[in-house]
Amino acid sequence: MPDTQTNILMALSDALAGAVAKAGASTVLVDARHRFPASGVVYADNLVLTADHVVEREEDIHIVLPEGSDTGARLKGRDPGTDLALLELDKGGLLPAEPVKQEARIGQFALAVGRPTREGLQASLGVVSAVGGPLRTRRGGLLERFLRTDAIPYPGFSGGPLVDSEGRILGINTSGFAPEASLTIPAAVAWQVADAIRAHGGVRRGYLGVRSQPVEISPEAQAHLGRAQESGLLLVGIEKNSSAALGGLMVGDIITGVNGSAVADHDALLASMSGDVVGKTISIEVLRGGEVRSLMVTVGERGQP
Amino acid sequence: MNGDSLNLPVTPLLNDEMAVLAGRLRRSLVQINNHRVGIGAGIIWREDGIILTNHHVGGRGQLSVILLSQGNAVYPARVIAADPEIDLAFLQIQASRLPPALVADSRNLHVGQLVFAIGHPWGQVGFLTAGIISSLDSATTRRGRQIPILRSDVTLAPGNSGGPLVNAAGGVVGINTLVIGGDQGVAIPIHLAQAFADQALQRAVVPEEVSV
Repeated sequence: MPDTQTNILMALSDALAGAVAKAGASTVLVDARHRFPASGVVYADNLVLTADHVVEREEDIHIVLPEGSDTGARLKGRDPGTDLALLELDKGGLLPAEPVKQEARIGQFALAVGRPTREGLQASLGVVSAVGGPLRTRRGGLLERFLRTDAIPYPGFSGGPLVDSEGRILGINTSGFAPEASLTIPAAVAWQVADAIRAHGGVRRGYLGVRSQPVEISPEAQAHLGRAQESGLLLVGIEKNSSAALGGLMVGDIITGVNGSAVADHDALLASMSGDVVGKTISIEVLRGGEVRSLMVTVGERGQP
Repeated sequence: MNGDSLNLPVTPLLNDEMAVLAGRLRRSLVQINNHRVGIGAGIIWREDGIILTNHHVGGRGQLSVILLSQGNAVYPARVIAADPEIDLAFLQIQASRLPPALVADSRNLHVGQLVFAIGHPWGQVGFLTAGIISSLDSATTRRGRQIPILRSDVTLAPGNSGGPLVNAAGGVVGINTLVIGGDQGVAIPIHLAQAFADQALQRAVVPEEVSV
């Protein structure tokens, strides 16, 4: 007869240990800085996703694999905007981690996992405490969403995974945005960034060449828009020969939407410039003299002339 | 969703199990007053009055053991075996038919397993906290011996020292010992206590009476 006194508790304990073991089989030690090592998550056969801020050198990176063996690595590419970096290992055959397919839910169990020492895996238990965002970051970056947890971020956990009770990756933990407030980059964002680094060596962010400030939209103008939208972005400067200039945008236009989605503030405009938009032609909705216009603009790349 | 396949009222069952577990843990938990630095914790090791605690809690001096399971009855205690190197000590009180703690195998633990600590943090008697095993580590003692240690994310405070870290089945896997490494959440695996008991308690002469 099973011990009914402790059945579910023991099942929960086994499940949590199983989740740690599963995620741990794809969690490596990343030694790429002067201070103590950090952690990383296997993204593909010979590619490891980690936090950008722990990668202080681009060559001679030292990796300890889950089974304890060592290998070298070099930087494949980085995206400081999301504090993510992709490392290419000398050795292949690693087991890629499994990212979650659904959005994290506040209250669900979450385990922070890391491998900051040779002694083996480390983990702490908590819940998904909050889902936040957008967060504006360095170099025009924008983290559309982030997760917070009350699981303890032990030293060296940056670059390691936050995992669910099945051992799937909810996101990548980092203390790189604020050392006192660790946060988690959702798996969907992290894998998208890793895909971009693998394909292009980095994340290409769109650039229009405009300076703007948020302004109120009058009720009359909202009536023209055909929707309730109380603010937009007034263009106060346009670079010569920029995408915006070539697309016909003018100082005094108020941007109200991009590709059919409302743009009411800077975060929304930055969000529209992330993802795969460089070189694509997008439709920008503006108010000009109270009238709604739609302009077709081919997006440039941030940081490129 | 995963919950659909498990056709059980999970949270009421879980709460019941937790309450049963906590009750069982409190029965074999004791308070130790060393009349120096306040209250520590300990567990009933054997039904004939042998108590296990930390050396830094009950290794020396005038000692009293308070049995929570006997309406806070206070017993004078004396040290019958002490190993400062692994911070463990066995005490003897003149009592019998005590409920000993259930001891688990601490050589086969996994990171992520649920653990509970019970003790008297900041003097709060029988305080239960929960977490998981965070790492299976090792530490070097002052004499240079390598010993295994358990780290957990369970909240501990002064007053937890000498108390048990237990698994989901209610078995003691470690003795919470805050001093080693100066870290929170460090426990000495119970198999070290077992080995210490095997060699020390064989030799120890259980006294006929205790002079106070």
